[in-house]
Amino acid sequence: MRRRSFLAGLGAAGVVGTAGCLGFELQSGNREPPLVENRPDGVYYPTHTEGMLMGGMASDGGYSCALTYSFPHRFWTITGSDTTQVEVGSNDALHLMPFVWHSETGVVPSDVSPTVEIARNGESVDRNNPWAMLSQNMGFHFGDNVELPEQGEYDLTVTVGEGSSRRTGSLAEAGSAEFEFTIDYQRSELGEVAFTDIPEARQGTLGAVKPMEMDMVPIKQAPAVDALPGTARGTTESGDAVLAVTSLDDATAFDGGEDQQYLAVSPRTPYNRFPLPLMSLSATLSRDGEAVFDDYLYEWLDPDLGVHYGAVVDGVETGDELTISVDTPPQVSRHEGYETAFLNMPDATLTL
Amino acid sequence: MSDSHGIDRREFVKSAVAIGGAAALSACLNRGPEIDVPRGPEQPDAAFPERQHAWNEFLPTTDEGNNHHPRHRVLLPLDYGDGTPTDAEREAVEAALAGVERAYERSAAGLLLTVSYSPYYFDRFDADLTESVDLPEPRALSSFEDPNPDDPDAIVHLASDHGEVVMGAEEALKGEVDELNGVSQPDAALTDAFSIRERRTGFIGDGLPAENQDVDGVPDDGPVPEDAPLYMGFESAYEGNQPTEDRVTIREGPFAGGTTQQLSTLTLNLNQWYEQDTRKQRVAKMFCPHHANNDVVEGAGENLGTDPQMDDCADPMDSARSDGVVGHGQKMVDVREDDAPIILRRDFDSTDQGRAGVHFLSLQREIADFVTTREAMNGEEIDRNSAVGQRTNNGILQYINTVRRGNFLVPPRSLRALPPANPETAEDAEVANA
Repeated sequence: MRRRSFLAGLGAAGVVGTAGCLGFELQSGNREPPLVENRPDGVYYPTHTEGMLMGGMASDGGYSCALTYSFPHRFWTITGSDTTQVEVGSNDALHLMPFVWHSETGVVPSDVSPTVEIARNGESVDRNNPWAMLSQNMGFHFGDNVELPEQGEYDLTVTVGEGSSRRTGSLAEAGSAEFEFTIDYQRSELGEVAFTDIPEARQGTLGAVKPMEMDMVPIKQAPAVDALPGTARGTTESGDAVLAVTSLDDATAFDGGEDQQYLAVSPRTPYNRFPLPLMSLSATLSRDGEAVFDDYLYEWLDPDLGVHYGAVVDGVETGDELTISVDTPPQVSRHEGYETAFLNMPDATLTL
Repeated sequence: MSDSHGIDRREFVKSAVAIGGAAALSACLNRGPEIDVPRGPEQPDAAFPERQHAWNEFLPTTDEGNNHHPRHRVLLPLDYGDGTPTDAEREAVEAALAGVERAYERSAAGLLLTVSYSPYYFDRFDADLTESVDLPEPRALSSFEDPNPDDPDAIVHLASDHGEVVMGAEEALKGEVDELNGVSQPDAALTDAFSIRERRTGFIGDGLPAENQDVDGVPDDGPVPEDAPLYMGFESAYEGNQPTEDRVTIREGPFAGGTTQQLSTLTLNLNQWYEQDTRKQRVAKMFCPHHANNDVVEGAGENLGTDPQMDDCADPMDSARSDGVVGHGQKMVDVREDDAPIILRRDFDSTDQGRAGVHFLSLQREIADFVTTREAMNGEEIDRNSAVGQRTNNGILQYINTVRRGNFLVPPRSLRALPPANPETAEDAEVANA
């Protein structure tokens, strides 16, 4: 779908993020003010929020994709607990975000890695595997700063391969997908993308900006604690993440038996309830001082639980003590406001 | 080494290989002192081994004890067209190949070459390719790649430390020169039987990637270390990380003494590799977290000698679970046999299409050995069971895209010119075609 016709079809909905545009000129490609000083070790209000442009939306197989982009901006890659701040490069043209979700459930798949092929006049100019990312206004998505040789039209092909076998329901049937878009990269247009300062008194304080609202593009949140399927077992915390626990009476969908239960942990960001993918979690379930389960929790994608971690157990009883160990924090790149959170994540204990 | 225009001769030769053609060759030869490469034997057939891929004994070893890799490369994909080869075509191809072998000695300074054939080539024969050769058509080898099949009928691989030698050999094989290195060339050319589809070029060795980093896919500030042999900045083909040529040689059947060749065209995203990761991240992803945490790798890794010390790395799943990352080399440990990999790497970097890329060329007894190795690289179980993602922190998968894959048979020398699919029954086939 061509971007122009898409905008014409949707009216103002194509440009999202509507608050005031402040006086930053887009010259170097970098519109960002310096980071706030003394960032807390937790989720905090960043210096600003950004709007973005929509290059089109398409569906294929079990997935949908909105090709969104904005001006290039800083983010942090992560390996283990070490984060690396990525500065905007002098040739970076835009921050490209192929926002992919499972059409039926809205779940953003954490077990795939989309590829974007960028072509101009039929010639490939770049292939990019965008990072799995977490931002306060978009939640879990894929994105990267990319270079483009010049202004003008580009054809982008986004491909999504098969996911892992740890999926349930219609998510297991999603298959692979390919989406095609055309965008018209114009610096002047990027310069008009909304850029909203957050009041200085609020910058760097604990909290998060609200998720963006986009027509037709769902920003998937983890289920509210009182809306978790099964028997909600309460919540605990680690490294500023909320760990919500529930158990299902039937574990068959998760490779268990009918007479077994499924113990699920749903880690999410505070404030916005975004799921936290790409973690290594393990758990010990103790009853009367004896461990009745002590093993890994595995990352699963489920229509009701979304991205979560779980294990098949013989039974969960009221009064059991659950210790959740974060063996690796979420290996998801971070946008500003998340880069100091979910890094040092001690064991968390909960009495069920 | 500078000519009167002040352009470094070595620089010029390097670009000339990428440009190619008789004009580039002659410009190259007109610039500065001619290279002095010994000629090959009068009768290469009598002097050269039956294994086309027997290169190691003709190559020096590096200071670190690893096999040297010829620095300049050309790959010539060839299309045969319809029908089956005639004796005259076989003779012309063999004569052309022997012509360049007489011109340059078989060495790193001289010329190393192989000719290989795809499954598409063998499809033309009534007989099936002999069962003693495992040569399937190429396919995607992970859920997240969608490569094009590399489907010429044959590929010639030319390798030398001298750009002039690979260019000279290429021109002679095309029938464009009468004399090469003072040796008169036969009135026969590959083009008597084939059309040349395109040319692919590349390089490997200290300094060449840094000299060739002004292309797409590499940050402008020139991050490739000056002494690195490959774009990603590290040594890779350690002696302790390569099987013997024996291990990759076909043992039985009419193609015994041959090998299979897997050729992938990869593009690299060095912006992410150099600009968005730290050196510590790069070492963890290329080798393993242990090497990153203990500063085991200095520079491009020359300090490791012949052994990347993979035994010091933790179990891949343990690293993935506790460090959130698994190294490329670390994932490969389990596919080793007798403490060596099962594929022999002869890959090199490339600037084809103006992009940083790799022609990943490996030799193995069966294509299945490559598939096993590539599946280990995918780390699917690690991805499924840990914080490591399909690409995220999963070795170097984040930075690589496979755009093309091809499988080829490198026949033994005596069958290198347009071989039949099953030489044991070939006489019958020829009678039938007569």
